[in-house]
Amino acid sequence: MRARRLRRPRVREVMLLLMLCGVHAHGAGGTEPPEVPVPDDDDAAALALPSVEATAAPAAPGASVLVEGAFTESAPRSGGSADAERLSLDINDDSRLAPQWRAVVGDRLDLDWAGAWNTSQQVNTLKQAYLSWQPRSNIVWDLGRINARQGVAFGYNPTDFFRADALRTVDSLDPNSLRDERLGTVMVRGEALWDGGAVTALVAPRLAAKPSNAAFSPDLGATNSEGRWLVSLTQRLTPNFSPQWLVFGTDAGMPQLGLDMTALLGSSTVAYWEASAGRSPSLLTQARESLVSLESLVSLGPPASESLYSRVATGFTYSAANKLSVTLEYEYDGAALGRGGWNALRNGSLPFYGAYRNEVNAQQELPTQQSAFVYLSWQDLIVRHLDATAFVRVDLIDHSRLPWTELRYHWSHVDAALRWQDYSGGPTTEFGAAPTRQTWQLVGDYYL
Amino acid sequence: MYESNSGFERRTAAEPRPTGRWVLLAVGLLAAALAAGQAPDAQKILAATDAIRNPDHSFGLTTTLIEYHNGRQTDTNTLQIYAKAERGSGQYRNLIRFAAPARDANKLMLKNGNDLWFYDPSSQASVRISPRQRLLGQAANGDVVTINLAKDYQAKLVGEEDVEDGDRVLRHCYHLALSAAAPDVTYDHIEMWIDRDTDQPVKSKFYAESGQLLKTAYYRRYQRELEVERPTETVIIDGLDRQWVTIMRYSDYAWRDVPDSWLQRDYLPRFKPE
Repeated sequence: MRARRLRRPRVREVMLLLMLCGVHAHGAGGTEPPEVPVPDDDDAAALALPSVEATAAPAAPGASVLVEGAFTESAPRSGGSADAERLSLDINDDSRLAPQWRAVVGDRLDLDWAGAWNTSQQVNTLKQAYLSWQPRSNIVWDLGRINARQGVAFGYNPTDFFRADALRTVDSLDPNSLRDERLGTVMVRGEALWDGGAVTALVAPRLAAKPSNAAFSPDLGATNSEGRWLVSLTQRLTPNFSPQWLVFGTDAGMPQLGLDMTALLGSSTVAYWEASAGRSPSLLTQARESLVSLESLVSLGPPASESLYSRVATGFTYSAANKLSVTLEYEYDGAALGRGGWNALRNGSLPFYGAYRNEVNAQQELPTQQSAFVYLSWQDLIVRHLDATAFVRVDLIDHSRLPWTELRYHWSHVDAALRWQDYSGGPTTEFGAAPTRQTWQLVGDYYL
Repeated sequence: MYESNSGFERRTAAEPRPTGRWVLLAVGLLAAALAAGQAPDAQKILAATDAIRNPDHSFGLTTTLIEYHNGRQTDTNTLQIYAKAERGSGQYRNLIRFAAPARDANKLMLKNGNDLWFYDPSSQASVRISPRQRLLGQAANGDVVTINLAKDYQAKLVGEEDVEDGDRVLRHCYHLALSAAAPDVTYDHIEMWIDRDTDQPVKSKFYAESGQLLKTAYYRRYQRELEVERPTETVIIDGLDRQWVTIMRYSDYAWRDVPDSWLQRDYLPRFKPE
C-alpha cells in the first residue's frame, strides 16, 4: 500500500512534465498565437465547466409522495423523559381526467408509537378529495373536500375561516406544517377570474353532527358540522396593490367581514395586514357551551351574548442579502380573554380552564387577546443546503413563550432535520401549561 | 465660347452645373462620413438584443439549472417558465413552475412587475415576497432570459471591444452601460457586450446600487428557436462568491399564450401546466 501511495504522485508528475514538454514543443515549433483578451481566471474556469444537454421538464407529476420518520425525546414537567416515534405517509395527487376536468386528492397517514413499539396509534387525514371543472379559462367549479385557505399573515390568520376543527393531529408546530396537515371542508366552489381580479363563492353544507376519533374516518363532523359559506373578491387597484375582501357566514351566526392586504416597502420588505370583524360569541362563551356543567362559571360572571369582535394579524418580512428573512407579526384576537379574564380563568375552575384551552386549540385561535410572532428563515446557513428556521411565539398578556428551531439539510431526495422547542412560562400560562417542557425531534424525509 | 457658354447656361437650366454637382457630392460624402462616425443608437442596440433573447409573443420554455460550487456540481433544478408580454409596458409577466427536484415539485412563483408571489401546493399558501427575496433562490436566475432591458434601462454606448464569448470565441462587440430608468428594477445598473454584427448578447454584468457585482452572465450555444437564433445556454457567475456558477440550459421553446386572468395570486392554486 505504501508503495502505491508513493507511485501515484510520480505518475501525476510525469504526466505534468509531459504536458509541459508538449506545450513547450508546441510553442517552440509554431507561430506565436495572437494576443486575445480572455475572461479572468474565474470566468474561464466557469466557462470550462461541463455543460448540460437539454432536458425536457418532467411533466407535472401525477402524485407526490413524502415518507417521514421522526424520533422525539421530550422532557415532561413532571420529570424524567419520554420518547415517541412516528412514521408518516403523505400523498398528494393532481390528475387531469379530461381537458376540462381534474381530480385532486391529498391524504396523510400518521402512525405513532409512544414508549412501546407494540402500541401504535393510527390517524388518517383525508386532506382533499375533489373534482374540478374548468369550462372556460376564467371559470372554475370545484366539488368535494377542499382545503380552502385564506390569509396573508404567517402565525395567525383571522380570515382563514375554514381552519377551525381542521386538525386531526399535530406533527409540528411550524405554521406551514399546520396548514399542510389539516382537513379540507366538503363544499361546492365557483370562481370567476379576470385580468387583475377574481371572485370566489363557496357553500359548505352540514353533513355530520360530531367529530370522530376513528383512525380512518373522513371526520366530516369536524369540518362540516354546520352550514358555512364564503364570498371573496380580489381586485388589483394599482400595479402592486391587490386587496382581498371576504364575507363569511354560518347557519347560526352573523356574517364576518375580512380584509387581506400586502404592500411592498422598498425592494426588501413586504408588509401585510389581515383582519376580520363581526358579531359572534366570545371564545369563553363557546367554551362554556361545550361544557356540560356550568356551576364553575359563577366566578367568571354572567355569560356574554354576541358582541362585535375584531381580529388582526399585521407585520412585515424583511429579507437580507445573506439569505436571512425575518418576519415580525403582531396578533390581536378580540374574542379571546383580556388580562383580567385570563387571570380569573387561570385561578378559577380547572375543568373550565381545560375546556377553554381545548376550544381555542381546536379553532386555532389565540387564548389571550394579544400575541407576538417572530419568524426567521435562513437558507444555506454556514454550508450550502443547510437551512435554519426558527420562530418564537410570545403571549403579550401572560408573557409566556414558545421558541421553536429547526436545522434542515437536504440532498436531492432526502432531508434530515433536527428540531427543538421549549415551552416556558408560569403554570397555567399559555405556554407554561404544556405538559412537556422541552422537546427534541430528529426527522428524516424521503421525497419520491 | 459663347455657344459653349450658352450651352453651359442651358445645361444649368436642365441639370446641376458641374461645380454644383461637386458641391453636392462633397456634401453627400461629408454627410456619409458624419453618419459613419456618428455613434450608433445604444437604445436601439439594446432593443435589438432584447428581441434575440425574448420572442415577441407569449412563450414558454424549460430551464435546467446546474449549480457548481468550487467546480463540483452541487444542485440541479428544472423550471418551467411561462412569459407573457404585458400590454403597454412590454415587460414580461412570468409564471415559473418548479419541476424538479421532487421536494419543490409544483411550487410556483408569479412575477408581475414587483408583485411577486410564491405558492406552495402542500400548504396551499400564497406568500408575497420582495424582489430581494426572489433573488435569494434559483428562480432569480430563471428570468435572466425574460427581461426586456430596453423597457427599464437607459443605454449608453461605452465603445467597441473585442470580447471572448461563452464559447471562447473572440467577438467584436458594442459595450453598453445600462442605468435603471424605471423604479424598483432588479438591478441598479448593467454592463452589456453585444455582437456588433448580429446584435447577439455575448456577456452581461449585473450590479446592485452599491456597485456590488451581483452576477456575470455569458450567453452561448446559439440555436434557431422560435424563428430566431437565440442563446440556449447561459453561464452565470455569482458576484459575491465567484466559485458559485450556474449553467442554465434552455429547451422546449414554444409559443404559449397564458390567459391574463391566470397571472394573479388567486389562480396559483389552480395552475396546472400543459
